[in-house]
Amino acid sequence: MSNDFSQFQEAFFEEAGDHLAIVEEGLLALEQHPDDLDLLNKIFRSAHSIKGTSGMFGFNAVAQFTHKMETLLDLLRNGQKVVTLEIADLLLKSTDCLKTLIDAAKTGSPVDGDTVQRLTVELATASNTKVEASAPPSTPLPLTPNLSRCFHIAWTPPEWLFQRGLDPLQIFKELANLGTLSQVAVDTSKLPELVAMDPEKCYLAWTMKLETVKDRQVVDAVFEFVREDSKLVIEERESLSVKREAPESGRECEAFESGTKTASRETSAVDGAEPKPLGEILVESGIVSRETLDHALAQQKRVGQILIEQHAATPQQVEQALQKQKQQESASQSKKTDTASIRVDTAKIDKLINLVGELVITQSMLSDLGSRFEMSQISVLLERMAQLERNTREIQERVMGIRMLPIGTAFSRFPRLVRDLSAKAGKKIQLVLSGEETELDKTVIESIGDPLIHLVRNSADHGLEPPEERLDNNKPELGTIRLNAFHEGGNICITVEDDGRGLNRDKILAKAVKQGLIAENEKLSDDQIWPLIFKPGFSTAEKVTDVSGRGVGMDVVKRNIEGLGGTVSIKTALGKGTVFTLKLPLTLAIIEGMTVRVGKDTYIVPLLSILESIQPKAEVMKTVIGKGELINVRSTYLPMMRLYDVFCLQPEYTDPTKAILLILETEGERVAVMVDEILGQQQVVIKSMEQNFRKVAGVAGATILGDGTVGFILDVRGLLEMSRQSMLVAA
Amino acid sequence: MAAATLETATKELNQQIGLTTDGSQYLTFQLGEELYGVDILRVQEIKGYTTVTKIPNTPPHIKGVLNLRGTIVPIVELRTKFGMPTIDYTMFTVIVVVVVQDRIMGLVVDSVSDVLNISKKDIQAPPEFGAKVDVSVLTGIGKSGDKLVALLNIDRLLTESEMQEAASVADA
Repeated sequence: MSNDFSQFQEAFFEEAGDHLAIVEEGLLALEQHPDDLDLLNKIFRSAHSIKGTSGMFGFNAVAQFTHKMETLLDLLRNGQKVVTLEIADLLLKSTDCLKTLIDAAKTGSPVDGDTVQRLTVELATASNTKVEASAPPSTPLPLTPNLSRCFHIAWTPPEWLFQRGLDPLQIFKELANLGTLSQVAVDTSKLPELVAMDPEKCYLAWTMKLETVKDRQVVDAVFEFVREDSKLVIEERESLSVKREAPESGRECEAFESGTKTASRETSAVDGAEPKPLGEILVESGIVSRETLDHALAQQKRVGQILIEQHAATPQQVEQALQKQKQQESASQSKKTDTASIRVDTAKIDKLINLVGELVITQSMLSDLGSRFEMSQISVLLERMAQLERNTREIQERVMGIRMLPIGTAFSRFPRLVRDLSAKAGKKIQLVLSGEETELDKTVIESIGDPLIHLVRNSADHGLEPPEERLDNNKPELGTIRLNAFHEGGNICITVEDDGRGLNRDKILAKAVKQGLIAENEKLSDDQIWPLIFKPGFSTAEKVTDVSGRGVGMDVVKRNIEGLGGTVSIKTALGKGTVFTLKLPLTLAIIEGMTVRVGKDTYIVPLLSILESIQPKAEVMKTVIGKGELINVRSTYLPMMRLYDVFCLQPEYTDPTKAILLILETEGERVAVMVDEILGQQQVVIKSMEQNFRKVAGVAGATILGDGTVGFILDVRGLLEMSRQSMLVAA
Repeated sequence: MAAATLETATKELNQQIGLTTDGSQYLTFQLGEELYGVDILRVQEIKGYTTVTKIPNTPPHIKGVLNLRGTIVPIVELRTKFGMPTIDYTMFTVIVVVVVQDRIMGLVVDSVSDVLNISKKDIQAPPEFGAKVDVSVLTGIGKSGDKLVALLNIDRLLTESEMQEAASVADA
């Protein structure tokens, strides 16, 4: 029944997040180009937007802090100050602080007041302005009410209150958020006879007591939208002195929605959410004493206990049920904090709107035809039906595509992270990002953030050597961490690569033996050794730094990625570097695919795995041991695989010189796959086979083709393994 | 076992809300001369036969997959599954789309016949044929008038066998 301000607040938090990202990005770039005025202006604009909107929503702490930042930024902008490393660092730290302040406003989590205070001072010193005498920035959360002030508020809202769509309950709710609202009493004396009453007019007035730590301004601000024409008296710590209109009659009535005869109610009831427990009311009205109540409450049993005593359920069952309840509670809580909204590229929306337009046209064409249909027009009908089908399918696919976001959003935080890490570890590190435009599902992007952070930290802290050591080893002083994302074989691969010292086989082995993970004289291959670093508590770092070394990170990486149904693999060379490859299934992803035909069947090959396609001549084909077929492509011999062999299909051609060979690459391996014909290229939405069926070897997923039938997307890696297995069987 | 308890729970619930009196309603369909029934609550929809896409390296009774409004649904040819000879599809050939443990699957049958109310007392336990016929896929034999309906345990019919096949394909 209320028009909740919270929906606007959500938009604010989202926007603030975006602005913060711009500020941070800009500051990082500013370090490199301190004279870039455009950049400064951009940062300033974003900071200013945060200040403006946060002030409007009453997040004063945020607004005040941003104002300090803005002052400094303004000086920089006007050329009165020069961007130095210290200033950039201070601004970055302030951005972090701002982030926590905004988070605090959002979730009510506690704020480290000292940091805020310190940074405020630093910002002020940097901009040479005076700090207001140690006024601690007020935090936007309800604190313990020992510092609280007491306000008596008398409010007679204007008659037009309801006409303008304002809800007094909303005001009470906001007041209750500020502190403890009590003694709320409604004055119904102006309420006319029912016949004379205009339901759109507000005849009520309220008095209340508010205990809060907030300033008067904050309390004032609550009435911001209703102040006009209101009679509002807010008094601090004094007994209430309200100019009440002389009561016309003795009638007393509650707010419109309830007909109870009590003129005053406690706020919690006004909130509409939680009425007081029975016991409390009994105590308040003096029917029972508090001791009696406490005693009675102590005797009260929990439902589970009662059930167990009555042998209706076993303790274990109750325990399980309780666990479940807890899970659901925490699930609903986590849902609350994670606002499920998505920002979509306008181009995507525009396309969707165009498509809907087309759909409407097709629909009107069809209804036009339907109203005067003759059998002779059947071909027209069919044509239009086909068009309708095409439209609908395209819209379906586009809508699915809305969930897709470029992975760049997950990568964007790393420049900052690496900058801080390199400063902390005293190493020179450059970060190279590529494949930021790779699209993947929003949920996947959200969940790979943490694992990636752990991996990048790991690379920076353990992987890369200190500059002296690098120079000693004839490596460039500047270490490189490379983040790359790409689609491969129906998966999304994200690699974190460093050119550091690589994993030390002996060190890991020794540690593993020490921790009792493996026996002393166990012989392990490299591929068996590397995964040991994913074991919880495993770390070969000599000392624990605040960045890493506790042996937690890699465990988290593996668990998170496996939770998403993905895998982590390691490639490393001592002294040269390490590559971590995260492979994630793409449940909803759209990929570019090449449709190929074998006999009557259509398959889709991920475009990214295709290097080239050729029609071979007889002389480039060779066999080994009579069975293994090789093909010479520009003087490299590649194994050849006949798709119809692997999939047991009826091909059109069995002679490779008539067919087409696709040269595919996966994880550095190449293979030539023989198909009958290439049909074309199209974007396909990957559909899960596992949802209703199971994993099919050699197939990464299914998709819906242009004619509405299902096509399979080839899993190049899987095909390779299948062909190897069949080779083994054949050999 | 969980599926079985769920099934009885659903049945009880239906009795409570008056959907069925006693026993259950069954959708019956024809395979050759034989009449089969599946619990109607497990049937999502019935659709005419359309061409399916064959899945490579799957046993013959897995006819292929179908696009059911954007979901990929595997289609099982029930005749092949039961070792009956295949016949040409006619205009009566339909796909019965059923829900099996959160999965959606389609069964190709010769034709659908009727929805029958079979009370519990008219259902007898599946008879024993020894090794010749696997009766574990039946929940029982139902009588409705002079008709005999073999009531299918689709959970067992579709999932367990699927997993076995998956293993055998992987072994090959």
